[in-house]
Amino acid sequence: MDLNDVWFIASLWMGLALLASLISIRLGVSVALAEIGVGVIGGNFLGLHTTPWIDFLASFGSVLLTFLAGAEIDPDSLRRHLKASLAIGCIAFILPALGAFTFCFWVARWDLHAAEIGGIALSTTSVAVVYAVMVETGLNRTDIGKLILAACFVNDLGTVLALGILFANFNWLLLLFVVVTVVVLLFLPRLTRFVIGSVGGRVSEPEVKFIFLILFGLGWLAELAKSEAVLPAYLVGLVIAGVFVRDRVLVDRMRSIAFALLTPFYFLKAGSYVALPAVVAGFVLIVALLAVKMGTKAVGVWPLARAFAFTPRNSIYTTLLMSTGLTFGTISALYGLTNHIIDQTQYTILVTVVIGSAVVPTLIAQTWFRPDIAAEGQPEPALEPARAVHSRAVSVAADAASD
Amino acid sequence: MFHKVLVALDGSAGAQRALQAALQIVHEQELDLWLVSVEEDLPRYVATRDEFEAEKERANHYAIAIQEQAEHLAQQAGAQVHRAVLVGHPAKQIVDYAAKGGFDLLVIGHSGHSNLWGSFLGTNADKIVRHAPCTVMVVR
Repeated sequence: MDLNDVWFIASLWMGLALLASLISIRLGVSVALAEIGVGVIGGNFLGLHTTPWIDFLASFGSVLLTFLAGAEIDPDSLRRHLKASLAIGCIAFILPALGAFTFCFWVARWDLHAAEIGGIALSTTSVAVVYAVMVETGLNRTDIGKLILAACFVNDLGTVLALGILFANFNWLLLLFVVVTVVVLLFLPRLTRFVIGSVGGRVSEPEVKFIFLILFGLGWLAELAKSEAVLPAYLVGLVIAGVFVRDRVLVDRMRSIAFALLTPFYFLKAGSYVALPAVVAGFVLIVALLAVKMGTKAVGVWPLARAFAFTPRNSIYTTLLMSTGLTFGTISALYGLTNHIIDQTQYTILVTVVIGSAVVPTLIAQTWFRPDIAAEGQPEPALEPARAVHSRAVSVAADAASD
Repeated sequence: MFHKVLVALDGSAGAQRALQAALQIVHEQELDLWLVSVEEDLPRYVATRDEFEAEKERANHYAIAIQEQAEHLAQQAGAQVHRAVLVGHPAKQIVDYAAKGGFDLLVIGHSGHSNLWGSFLGTNADKIVRHAPCTVMVVR
């Protein structure tokens, strides 16, 4: 039996992906976390390792995930809260990036580029985690909730830009990448609408292939320029978010492709590189970096939230939610590992901090700082609209009375 | 004796028995009936908003289906029904909803769809009885 046979490897990885799916359903956690967890077990106990084709599927998974994240923005909401979301989002990116970089460089004694990866990975905010938390209180339907989400998008844009620019070669290839990306982004919304309108809805999925072509092409140019393919993917998602608002079927299809075939390879791979001995040995550094991330977010976000007239309680809630991270943090860390900027120990520490940042701030926020929606002058949206239903007997009596 | 009655539904046999008991009470006292269901299995710490929304839609379908069944039974009993679907931890959401809504009777099933930790950490019924702001009827 050849354990390097491609079908055997595919079966093993897909089996682990299925196991992660079942675990996520049973425990009520996201499939991403479950896949990372299963990847950790696979990497530490089963000798799980990647092959070139798995590396490609994983890379495309991260690109598609980033694209879908960019496409989830609500363009109207961003426009309506532009000033506040730009201010909060920029500060929420800059201060933790600088703080984590400084800590990694001066205290943890990482080299310059490794510290840069640390800064980028810990600057993130998870829009998806924040959104899921806000649904529980109905905050997602309020103005404050939409402002927070818009700020999260800005924060993540900063992360993706930093990742794409900081390690790029500043030569004509980068110029070519930037120019082509700008031109594509300018025409993409109209072009996408045209493709959907003229050939969309067919079995051969031409509109999906069109988007994949854009992502592959810009990803290739990004790689040539030593940038990162997730940067153009996020920007592509942002510019055609308005198109997706009107075509949920297309989003659903792309999500199915991503979650069934691509993102499992990405998250399993991400988990497989986490070395458990390094988690134990680096526990103090992990806690310290988590504190740095949360502390710098607090220093940056809380005063700004108060300046935009949030109540003190809601300012703390906003700060905690913006301390979360998951997808972009792991993407940044894996980028660093894949490009030999950080080693496996540093990668393990960063990914553990990122996962911790998905869990700890949200637990604190939901337990002690649930939002004071009424104090913001918003109607209480915690409940779905109740519907009164008149019984047949009552309505029949009413009809009889009116005759 | 009671003025505002709330029933918690999760589609389990226990919740069905709770509904039957509540219908009897509201029928005798000519009261309206409030139904509440909580979507608890939505994924936490998701990678994309879409993953959460897709799971929420699935959970919505289920909650609406069980509430429509309950509504049908309530119609036959001649009761006016109000419905709500919440998201989060079932015990906490139900207790908060009962407090905010000013209910004076909360009717729940003794055993619902227990999650993985129910046997070890106490069922939702245990927690609701301990923290509810009103009378709680636990139907076995």
